[in-house]
Amino acid sequence: MPKRAASRYYRMAMNAAPSSFRPAGSLPSAPLAAYDGPWNTRLAAHLLRRAGFGGSPSDIAHYAAMPMGDAVAALIRFPSTANYPEPQLTDDRAAELSLLMSVRGADKTDDAVMEARKQLRDMRRTQNVANVTWWLDRMVATPAPLQEKMTLFLHGHYATAAGTKNIYGLDIVDQNELFRRYALGNWRELTHYVARDRAMLKWLDNARSVKAHPNENFARELMELFTLGIGNYSEQDVRESARAFTGFTFAPRTGEFYFNARQHDDDSKTFLGKTGNFNGDDIIDIIFQQPAAPKLFASKLLAFFIYSDPEPDLVDQVAALIRKNDFNMEPVMSTLLRSNVFYSDRAYRALVKSPVEFVVGTYQLFGITSVQPEVIGALNRMGQVPFHPPSVKGWDGGAQWLNTQTVLARENFASSLMSAPEMMQAQNWLTQGGPPTTEAATRKLSSTILQGDASASALADLAGYLDGGGTSTNTMLSGENFEERMRGAAYLTMAMPAYQLS
Amino acid sequence: MKRTRFLIGAVAGLSVAANVDNLFGRALAQPILPGLPSGTDDRVLVVINMQGGNDGLNTIVPHGNQKYYQYRPTLGIAPNDVLQINKDIGLNPAMASLKSMYDAGNVALVQGAGYPGPDHSHFRSTEIWQTAEPEHYETTGWVGRFLDSANLPADNLFNAVALSPVLPEVMIGRRVDVPAIAALQGFGLSSDRNQNERGVFAAIDKGGSMPFDSPYLSTVAMIEDHAQRGSQELPKLISGYKTDASYPATPLGRSLALAAQIVGSRLGTRVVYVQHGSFDTHAAQKQTQDRLLKEFSDAIKAFYDDLAAHGNDKRTLTMTFSEFGRRVAENASRGTDHGEAAPMFLVGGGIKGGLYGEHPSLDVLDNGDVKYTVDFRSVYATVIEKWFGRQTSGVLAGSFPTLTMLT
Repeated sequence: MPKRAASRYYRMAMNAAPSSFRPAGSLPSAPLAAYDGPWNTRLAAHLLRRAGFGGSPSDIAHYAAMPMGDAVAALIRFPSTANYPEPQLTDDRAAELSLLMSVRGADKTDDAVMEARKQLRDMRRTQNVANVTWWLDRMVATPAPLQEKMTLFLHGHYATAAGTKNIYGLDIVDQNELFRRYALGNWRELTHYVARDRAMLKWLDNARSVKAHPNENFARELMELFTLGIGNYSEQDVRESARAFTGFTFAPRTGEFYFNARQHDDDSKTFLGKTGNFNGDDIIDIIFQQPAAPKLFASKLLAFFIYSDPEPDLVDQVAALIRKNDFNMEPVMSTLLRSNVFYSDRAYRALVKSPVEFVVGTYQLFGITSVQPEVIGALNRMGQVPFHPPSVKGWDGGAQWLNTQTVLARENFASSLMSAPEMMQAQNWLTQGGPPTTEAATRKLSSTILQGDASASALADLAGYLDGGGTSTNTMLSGENFEERMRGAAYLTMAMPAYQLS
Repeated sequence: MKRTRFLIGAVAGLSVAANVDNLFGRALAQPILPGLPSGTDDRVLVVINMQGGNDGLNTIVPHGNQKYYQYRPTLGIAPNDVLQINKDIGLNPAMASLKSMYDAGNVALVQGAGYPGPDHSHFRSTEIWQTAEPEHYETTGWVGRFLDSANLPADNLFNAVALSPVLPEVMIGRRVDVPAIAALQGFGLSSDRNQNERGVFAAIDKGGSMPFDSPYLSTVAMIEDHAQRGSQELPKLISGYKTDASYPATPLGRSLALAAQIVGSRLGTRVVYVQHGSFDTHAAQKQTQDRLLKEFSDAIKAFYDDLAAHGNDKRTLTMTFSEFGRRVAENASRGTDHGEAAPMFLVGGGIKGGLYGEHPSLDVLDNGDVKYTVDFRSVYATVIEKWFGRQTSGVLAGSFPTLTMLT
């Protein structure tokens, strides 16, 4: 290892970490006051990682240049994205084949049916891939990053998986558009629509829940995972609410929600202490009157956007805020993203990036605009494919994102990206401006990829690499080798701990 | 040569610094506790999680009970189809391979396993089985606590392995970090960057003083270190294992093939976690459950054939669990909803096969569910005390009577 370059950089890095570099203040004694500390590029990058996917270096500069309040306002009042095209139906024969199977499906040995089944399976798989890349593309390119981030939150919250339970075609995309429409809308209203959503009706079996045999799956998860949390209802409440949701189904031909009154249990139910002839909508309204509902949303929002083990006091404050705004999320998110808690030391880099954040953020960082289907395999190895949560509980997140297998998958993704320079924009910051000095290159990598969040010794190792340490040619950084060397160094920088953290 | 220091378990508030130069795969040489059986220090436990809630009544079928057929008008398995164990019960017909192992005395069926105050949530009940704590929330798993208490060498990266894409809670301890390996292929740094960067990657300082603090920082650094070193070493350490066994081409078959390779390579691995499923059969149960039980049964047979061919069948115990059984009465979708007690399988050359515990009664139900007859923690206690020769204190809260399939 070339000691000279490394030790020079080591000294420089040691000197370059004054305490003012850190965000102001530790956890305030009165949570959720407005943040009034300094505003800089590092905090703008923090905001963009949390309220979006990280953004490009120019996005970060753009937000850093305006006052914090304006930056948050720009993210909250996002431009309309209504014109964004939905994914194409990759093959419109799917419906036709489906019909063929339903007509002749009784005889499983029928060759025509076997062939139709195989074709249908292939079509659905192709559609599935198209749906995932459609959303990833949208996350990368969106002019409304917070809208996509909230949509991702809601997808993990009302977690539904495509490719199973007969969820295919655009089922999951329609649900996704529902989440997007309600990204910062009223989440009680959203929950009423979730109970009517075709993908959800299939996923948790409510479409088949009939008076004689109520299916408890949706009723249980509605309370356990979506609204109240375990311990805030009884088994009896599960059984009674399952009765109330009987008849919530969809019309097979149109796929539209349909209330089948003949299969609805019209008798009296006792639910969370109230008695009446309730239907599913009544159940949701009763649920949202419970103090546990805003609390569950508060905990989950804090864990997703701020830090993973929020103080009970803070949860209570955010729950009160949600209740005060009657589950309208725009004012809630606006307050959170402007708060002293959000910009505290305790929140900074205190979340593990999800694989989707890791991948989409890396694409934005390097200006890569088109998502290749192979990325789905990489995301799968990292532990998160959009539209494919492991269960209705969604992804656990936090430390659960990290294990030997998923960390290797992250490194391999970064490595393959840095081995495909043709994917990046011609004028990429990484190689723009010709060969830099080792010191400038190290500073650029550290500040652009990590906002300076690297240890001095790691940066010394990086500088050593840039100057040929451990490389086959063992030559100093030069006009001939600098592009390849910069890509290798960018890969190594993305392998550093801070890049795994949001 | 640079010596890397890293922190184990700092996130749990414990800091154990370790030097980590070239200390892979060293076999265990820790003495077991005095007064406990000897010769247990190369024993391995394979834990199979049957995820989603496996229906117990269609696994060990009470074909002698008319009530079963009344509750299961379409899902009931006819007496003639059941692989009969006795006049009352028998195995699901999909498990012919396992039945042959049962007949050879290598399978113990624990009937009616469960716990007091059964929870019907997948997530909470899975957590309960993994943490062995039905009454309160616990962040470590029982295997994790066992590993912590077993005086395992801190420098062995493979004290236990989870053959799964996500590290399950059961393997989480305070001191021992367990690697997750979804499959051997893909467990490694890809070769599309040159070897040199790999070298730098290994050397690059993952610790050091940072201009920020994060509760995850030490965890990230540790896992990156383990991932880097472990993925380079594991393929080398197990490459000497040759086998003629033919496993079913299923995810479980592949996992158990790798498990046999790891066990047979004697890396000091004490516990291997494998998952299988999902058994969450709310609708059209028969198709799904029969397929999954057949996959399980065939893969276990191949696994033990492989282990036996290498003389490892007697040192390898396999134990299954599932978060719950299912409702006694079938639902309108030819499926079953979440229930309570369900059987566990213990398989291996070192056990006394047969039936353990009572088959749950269909006469006295708990709100439509069968009640447990064996606390699952008794099975864990049996494994800890009789298989590993260790005490359960610090691993299980409370004392539980052991069963007699292990002596």
